Amino acid sequence: MNICGVTLGFNFSGFQLIYVCVACFMWICSLLFSLEYMKHYENKKRYYIFMIATWFATVGVLASTNFLTTFIFFEIMSFTSYLLVIHEETPGPMRAGETYLAVAVIGGMVMLMGLFLLYDALGTLSFDGLDAVAKFALESGQTTEGRLFAAGLCILFGFGAKAGMVPLHIWLPKAHPIAPAPASALLSGILTKAGIFGAIVISVNLFFENVTWGVMMATIGIVTMFLGALLGVFSVNLKRTLACSSVSQIGFITLGIGMICLLGPENALASRGTFLHMLNHSMIKLLLFSAAGVVYMNLHHLELNDIRGYGRKKPLLLVLFAIGAASISGVPGTSGYISKTLLHESIVEFIEHAEHIGLEKLAGLFHVYEIVFLITGGMTLCYMLKLFICLFIGKNANPALQAKYDEKTKYMSVLSSACLIAPAALLTVMGITAYRTMNLMAEIARFFLHGYAAEHEVHYFVWTCIKGSCISVTVGLVLYFLVVDKLLIKKKKNGDLVCAEYVDAWPKKLDLEELVYRPLIKLLLSPGIFKYIDALPDKTAEFFSQVAFKQWNKESKRFSFKSWYHESSGGKALKSFHEAYLSARDSMSFGLLLAAGGLAIFLIYMLINWVA
Amino acid sequence: MNFTFGADAFSWIFFGLVTVMWVLVGIFTGKYGEANHLDHMPRFWLFYSLTYVSLAALCFAKSFLSMYLCFEFMTLLSMPLVAHEERPEAIAAAKKYLFYSIFGASLALIGLFFAGRYTDGVFAAGGTLDMSLASGNEKLLLVVVFLTVVGFGAKAGLYPLHSWLPTAHPEAPGPASAVLSGVITKAGVLCIIRVIYFVFGADFIRGTWVQYTLMAMAMLTIFMGSLMAYNQRHFKRRLAYSTVSQVSYILLGVFALNPLALTGSMLHIVYHAIIKNTLFLVAASVIFSTKHLHYVEDLEGLGRRMPWTFGCFTIASLGLVGVPPFAGFLSKWYLATGILSEKIPVISWMAPAVLLASALMTAAYLLSISIKAFFPRKDLVLDTNEFGKPVTESPLQMVLPMVILTAFVVVLGIAAQPWYNFFSVIASGVF
Repeated sequence: MNICGVTLGFNFSGFQLIYVCVACFMWICSLLFSLEYMKHYENKKRYYIFMIATWFATVGVLASTNFLTTFIFFEIMSFTSYLLVIHEETPGPMRAGETYLAVAVIGGMVMLMGLFLLYDALGTLSFDGLDAVAKFALESGQTTEGRLFAAGLCILFGFGAKAGMVPLHIWLPKAHPIAPAPASALLSGILTKAGIFGAIVISVNLFFENVTWGVMMATIGIVTMFLGALLGVFSVNLKRTLACSSVSQIGFITLGIGMICLLGPENALASRGTFLHMLNHSMIKLLLFSAAGVVYMNLHHLELNDIRGYGRKKPLLLVLFAIGAASISGVPGTSGYISKTLLHESIVEFIEHAEHIGLEKLAGLFHVYEIVFLITGGMTLCYMLKLFICLFIGKNANPALQAKYDEKTKYMSVLSSACLIAPAALLTVMGITAYRTMNLMAEIARFFLHGYAAEHEVHYFVWTCIKGSCISVTVGLVLYFLVVDKLLIKKKKNGDLVCAEYVDAWPKKLDLEELVYRPLIKLLLSPGIFKYIDALPDKTAEFFSQVAFKQWNKESKRFSFKSWYHESSGGKALKSFHEAYLSARDSMSFGLLLAAGGLAIFLIYMLINWVA
Repeated sequence: MNFTFGADAFSWIFFGLVTVMWVLVGIFTGKYGEANHLDHMPRFWLFYSLTYVSLAALCFAKSFLSMYLCFEFMTLLSMPLVAHEERPEAIAAAKKYLFYSIFGASLALIGLFFAGRYTDGVFAAGGTLDMSLASGNEKLLLVVVFLTVVGFGAKAGLYPLHSWLPTAHPEAPGPASAVLSGVITKAGVLCIIRVIYFVFGADFIRGTWVQYTLMAMAMLTIFMGSLMAYNQRHFKRRLAYSTVSQVSYILLGVFALNPLALTGSMLHIVYHAIIKNTLFLVAASVIFSTKHLHYVEDLEGLGRRMPWTFGCFTIASLGLVGVPPFAGFLSKWYLATGILSEKIPVISWMAPAVLLASALMTAAYLLSISIKAFFPRKDLVLDTNEFGKPVTESPLQMVLPMVILTAFVVVLGIAAQPWYNFFSVIASGVF
């Protein structure tokens, strides 16, 4: 098939097959959930049209086998999903939509630049055999590593913007809370994965075993996971916390991609962990955002203080939320535990590897990364605990409201609950039968990630593996009860009741978008010097026309030169010359003067010619 | 000096483009002129058709002399279109248009004189420069080529002589600015293609300062045009600066002297003509319905009242930004990869970067209008026009040409391969 002059290439096998299935599963769940969630919204027809358009575009991205196909569907996906973000059309969503669209368009264009450079360097954009072509081009001197890096960075910028890698994560915490919940589930669960998909392709094909690239990806991953988790701990909005959590989990996956590149032939654990964490995160975010949607559908609030205590006496919601929260925190026994353990083990493996071949500094760096990894794991538990306690354990500050919350037992339709139970059931099954299901899926996806087969069976439930998880869980509990509970939750005496209030302690000013990006873009888009460059020919023409035909264009008096000329000191200096010119202008002597000027130029030209 | 006419592939492409645009804009004008009480419509139709004739003649000119004459005719005959509304500003704008075009043409005249001496003046692919005469005078001839291209560049809005566009377009009636911007600027491009590829030959200027300077000028124009467009509040002036920027995309590809880039240029000639005509017709349609709206911020909420008009606007804008699957993506792709493969130091990688920076700004200045029109933030949405009547969609006779043009944007974008094949054969034939 040929669209836009590009021969489209699709592949439905291995990793791509699994992810297309995941996408379809998520869309079906979200669409069914939308039936109830969107009941009272306007413009439902538009919502469904663009929902389905985004579905097709995303499948196109995930199944593509060359970068042009990816790019075409990626752009379509960005624009159609914009309509989902701004669905409510109130100022808040419009502004978030602006951020979303700006990041998407800038990311898309930078990616296109990368594709130009890559195509120029290699002459192909097909994933199939890209690694071999790149190797050959490097060896034959057809291209240099620097050029490949420039291309790779541009492409990574585009995909990373969609995935939410720091510092391009700004759209996630803005767009997710205001989009309708089913759309947020998709944005977070699968659209970010479309970005990760591209990051994987570019990393494993062009920069396999490239230490610089691997360390860079790992560093981006570590920074992203930590910052995302930090924002999550401070957040006081249900969906915003989940969005920050998405940023953080994307960091884990990015780290995994870095480890795949770094470990080379020993990347069995890393590739498995990366893929499984993607899979887990998609399912978990579908579940959690839908759960948040259930809350919003009933209360039309997302602030933790407003929704506090809503989940009490709602066992189904509690179980569903707990499954998601435990899995994302990596509590042993859940599917999230498997993927996080694998990622952790891959770091440990690389440290050993680096020490073995004498890269002490790198090993030291990754020791730090390991610590950050474990702390971030703890922070994940911490913010999920914050949400869980808020929803299901704490009581609302307003007892009347709490009573109303408790009364409400019919809070979602059977269909909606089925849409929540499906991913929860999948997650549970995956967690319980990790050795069969998760290993099998990782094996199917392995080739796409350039993963090597494990030398021996990986045991998930041995002490070395559980230890990491235990450290994280301990850190998380300590963090919650010693820091969050003390500092971020203000206790108030309300009569004989002690009620808590969630405090938004994050400084309002500390917002990368407002602080840096918006002013920067405003500066870049101001005309500046180009205003003068643009006006230069006009002013020149005006000047000459005044000399040649004095009456032409009398309106030129408007032009601001005049006010400068009459008012500033620089202008006054010029004025005396100008007055002399004015008095001479109408005389014949002025004409002679011009003629003499021409003659002088001619003579100078002759002189130069003679000398040269 | 020969005074000959004849047809080659370029003639037919440009002639086809001119004809389709003239017919569609003509249909639009039928209603626009009648209901807008534009006086002297017969005069408008007279010069509208005469301009068409001179453009058609320009397309089929086969020697420098005949091309030059048609070019001058076209300038003179299109001038009354700009001045049509007879307001003092319109007349001043027409004068400015005339001044820039005639000045440009006088630069091109230099080229005509030299071409008469050093070439046989009749167009032939690869150029007809007589090397036995030219050897020893290369430096002089390069200056001549440069001045000629800059001269014809006045029509195409190339930098130093671009500023008639932002003045003339806001003053001209909507349909006139549509053809002026979408088609007549392309006449400048055609002349430049003729001069470079058919008179002096691409090999003569390849790798010289002329090529590099012209490419740098085109890049400056692209960037400056987009930046200035973003900073305009006046709707039609914004579109005019956008034309300045976009036509230089085409010129950049022409100056790259590369078959791929030239293919990209030719695709962009077609795409830009379609898209810019759509956008200017949208502007005209808005003025038709509201009678008085000229500024971008006034368009708030109009998308709901004029869904077809702004639907066309949005799709055409996406095309101009280069968002697949709409027209505009492929031309950018070939322009950029063609220029990159030329391996000119600095310019090679800077040109794609400038193209994309400009595309970003295009997104900023066009899509922001779409968003405002469809999702108004204020409650202050315009309900009635100047005469107190509710704002409604323009009549079918105006909507239809826009919809047809927009359909082209979609169809030519999705089914681009046959066009690419067609153009690439033609483009590689001139080297």
